[in-house]
Amino acid sequence: MEILNVVLSFFKIGIIAFGGGWSVVGIIKQEVVPRWMDEQAFKSLIAIAQSTPGPIALNAATLVGWQKGGIIGAVSATLSVIAFPLLAMSLALAFAKRIPLRRDLADESLRSGSLAMILMTFWALMPFNSQLIVWLFAIAAFLLTAFTRINGAYVILGAGALNMISGILH
Amino acid sequence: MKGKGVIAQKKPEPTPWNIFLTLAKITFITIGGGYVIVPAIGNAFEKNGWIEEKEFFRIFAKAQVFPGPVALSTSFLAAYSIAGAKGCVAAVFGVVLPPFIALILVGLFISNFGQNEMFRRFLLGAGAVVPGLVGSMLYRAAKSRKWSIRAAVEVAVLAVILSLFPAYAFYVLLGGIALIYAERLVWKS
Repeated sequence: MEILNVVLSFFKIGIIAFGGGWSVVGIIKQEVVPRWMDEQAFKSLIAIAQSTPGPIALNAATLVGWQKGGIIGAVSATLSVIAFPLLAMSLALAFAKRIPLRRDLADESLRSGSLAMILMTFWALMPFNSQLIVWLFAIAAFLLTAFTRINGAYVILGAGALNMISGILH
Repeated sequence: MKGKGVIAQKKPEPTPWNIFLTLAKITFITIGGGYVIVPAIGNAFEKNGWIEEKEFFRIFAKAQVFPGPVALSTSFLAAYSIAGAKGCVAAVFGVVLPPFIALILVGLFISNFGQNEMFRRFLLGAGAVVPGLVGSMLYRAAKSRKWSIRAAVEVAVLAVILSLFPAYAFYVLLGGIALIYAERLVWKS
């Protein structure tokens, strides 16, 4: 039954997954916290999903599926998150000429939608009740990735290694 | 040495199997999500002589109208233009399978070492920077958009409704995007 819920959740996530990985993280959180894990475990999961090979939404699906139902859970969650996108693209390729979609307007509405989603993600992940040092980690990561071309995945791995050695966060 | 040069210049045929291999090599080692993976794929396809860079980025723009990981949708549509429906199947396996295998290995590792103190510390540090990364994604997305009063209102209204009814985020977003599209279609600025 648990696996069925994971499948349903990630099928939904696949439908709304517009605008690149980070924007959908807020929606994923809505689906899995606190039902299947707490806030801290979710942040670790996202850190892993972003610093391992592959798209973040796909990786998050595989990891949640794995935790809830082993290899069967991982396979079904991964397939559910790509089910709707694949269906939508196949239909579009088959009926492209008959869909009267205004691309420019669709682009603009999706941009507004995904910006709102990133805002939601941002708000959902703010470390409100955390110590100052946690904020410093987050602010340093923001400065490094917003104003240089450093890949965020390396910031994640670096911060993990730093805390593994120093243990300042506990 | 001479032989090597000849081999390097021989371009792989755009068969489904080669499309799968090309994608799998990239998705198995590239970390950082879609916006890092997509340019790498564009590069590889172009080097293989399968698609022109301009055409690839036209497809990339089109792919963003579809939901799902942008690496998946871009590869899917590009592979279609290279090798038809069989190319699409190859693209799905090439994008999905390698990360899946990598993640299963990671999952096994977590199952075995999740309680380990050093690993716990690693995850704590890694998780702490996530809000900062989302912040910079937000900053970049906001900076790269051509803003109008209308766009700002759309984003603000959607964000407020989302924060008021987080449990209905899925329906709010689907309905919101559809309404914005309809509103822009009817009421031209």
